[in-house]
Amino acid sequence: MADTSKTVLMMGNPNVGKSALFNRLTGGDAVVSNYPGTTVDYTKGVLIESGQEYEVIDAPGTYSLEARDAAEGVAVRLISENPDATVLIVLDATRVERGLYLALEVIERGCPVIIALNMIDAARDRQIAVDARMLQKILGAPVVPTSATGGEGIRNLAETIRKAQKADIANVRARADGRFDEPARSGGCAECGRCGGC
Amino acid sequence: MALPVQERWDLVDAIARKTVTTGTHRQTLGDVLGDLTVRPLTGISVAVAVLYAFWSIFSSFAGALVTDGFMVKAFDNYWLPWLQEVWPDPASIHYFLFVGDPLAENCFEAFGMLTSGLFVSIGVVLPAVLIFYLMMTVLEDSGYLPRLAVLMDTVFHRIGLHGYAIVPAILGLGCNVPAVTATRVLETRKQRFIMMSLLAIFIPCGAQIGVMLEVIPETVGWVMLYLVIGFGIFGFVLDRIIPGSNPEILIDVPPYHWPLWDNVAKKLMNRTKSFLKDAVPFVLFGVLIVNVLYLAGIIGALADLLEPLFVIWFGVPKETVGPLVAAFLRKDLAVAQLSAIAMTPYQMITSVVLVSIYFPCVATFVVMLREGWKELAAAVAVLVATVFIYGGLIHAVGILMGVA
Repeated sequence: MADTSKTVLMMGNPNVGKSALFNRLTGGDAVVSNYPGTTVDYTKGVLIESGQEYEVIDAPGTYSLEARDAAEGVAVRLISENPDATVLIVLDATRVERGLYLALEVIERGCPVIIALNMIDAARDRQIAVDARMLQKILGAPVVPTSATGGEGIRNLAETIRKAQKADIANVRARADGRFDEPARSGGCAECGRCGGC
Repeated sequence: MALPVQERWDLVDAIARKTVTTGTHRQTLGDVLGDLTVRPLTGISVAVAVLYAFWSIFSSFAGALVTDGFMVKAFDNYWLPWLQEVWPDPASIHYFLFVGDPLAENCFEAFGMLTSGLFVSIGVVLPAVLIFYLMMTVLEDSGYLPRLAVLMDTVFHRIGLHGYAIVPAILGLGCNVPAVTATRVLETRKQRFIMMSLLAIFIPCGAQIGVMLEVIPETVGWVMLYLVIGFGIFGFVLDRIIPGSNPEILIDVPPYHWPLWDNVAKKLMNRTKSFLKDAVPFVLFGVLIVNVLYLAGIIGALADLLEPLFVIWFGVPKETVGPLVAAFLRKDLAVAQLSAIAMTPYQMITSVVLVSIYFPCVATFVVMLREGWKELAAAVAVLVATVFIYGGLIHAVGILMGVA
């Protein structure tokens, strides 16, 4: 079992809905509350999607990979201890720029990533529009809008985990400046994002 | 490849500019409430109202409605007489262990595993824990806790903590075990240590509060007052003597949400389940162990040994030594046991405060050990000193007031 199971590590700022998303994905019992710092230890669960078994780890929220407190320390330790893990980065759609810092740090470490644009319903209510396709194009990794509390996009997120991508930060920089015309890589994926994530 | 911090922020800006557009946002009722509950003037009145409502719902539901209205009658009128009748041989050891005193008329005084043990855990503590967690879940899920943290910040800085320490403090009122882990949100070791020590010493858990409401309803207010004062005094002192810093923290205050029924139900279920699974056996075996220790004469010997300390220094009867042994297993059990000992109201207050501030229960002890044995050892040292000093102080106050 262990050699066929892949690890998915959930990372993101505090109070963006990682645990709620984790419970949706795994049917788990992680404690969910509306205040930052609810999760101070990790929880593991299992997700089986298209015949592939994933071990999903819900990490405590952190603002960056330089831990400020013991709970953030747990998150940073998890990413070091699971170098082969796919990282599921959870962003709060109402404050994307806050979570992007951590997302970039994770991308710079060379981890394959997938991004959940969570709380998309709250963003809509607040008239905040996030261009998920553009974000996907720039980051070169799949971006899935979700609402963990409402259940929106969860199916899509689970199916997209296998499409997680490693991205090169220099290319991210170039695309953020509007330069999208780079040569296709030998892997066959130009990270253009037009296909909807490889 | 890793970017320098500034370049990373620049890149974040560039990406956000290309992907996020904000429309005009109308202020909602939630935003207005959110604002009002963090402003000191309105916020403090709301906080007082919220905490008062919390307390009165808790005491009327758990204490008056369920326990007095139903559990006491069921246990004292049916369960206890039935057990006393059918259990063979009242003079035997097994009768003493499981049923307790054959002449007891209520389940607090019988002190057998199946009488007091079951009554304390199911009849008194379970309803208290249920209603406590229901209300706490609403506080947690609505987004009120971080606002309380903002309000408490100024006060908590005087005792070496910042406002966010209110979160472990409130969790601790439910159970100290998750509260100890929750101290991880505090930034420095100094803060964590202060919070962990204060938690273990001065924050009574939901189970204990539930029993206090039941057995000493008229003095529970005094006990809580002494605990709050102690929390302040010893926090202040610890802040002065422990090296380390107490930095400011930026708190993310989330918008208010209606609690989701599913989530409330799920949390309530899980917390109740873990109470039944982890705490109830502790209460039952706690009674058993205490009874065995009584039979073996160990508690009697300890009581004789500690008599001078208890009688002269703390001003409480020497029989309270037994409950203190039980307190290490479960505090709720110890309070129940105290209620069966004859003493003056002030001695009762003192001894319940002592039970509260004395050693954390064994489960709390174990999680504290997991957070670091050095901290645990230091916390125990603080605890011993605190029990000695504060216990004496309360006695002195009693003497001054002429009630001890």
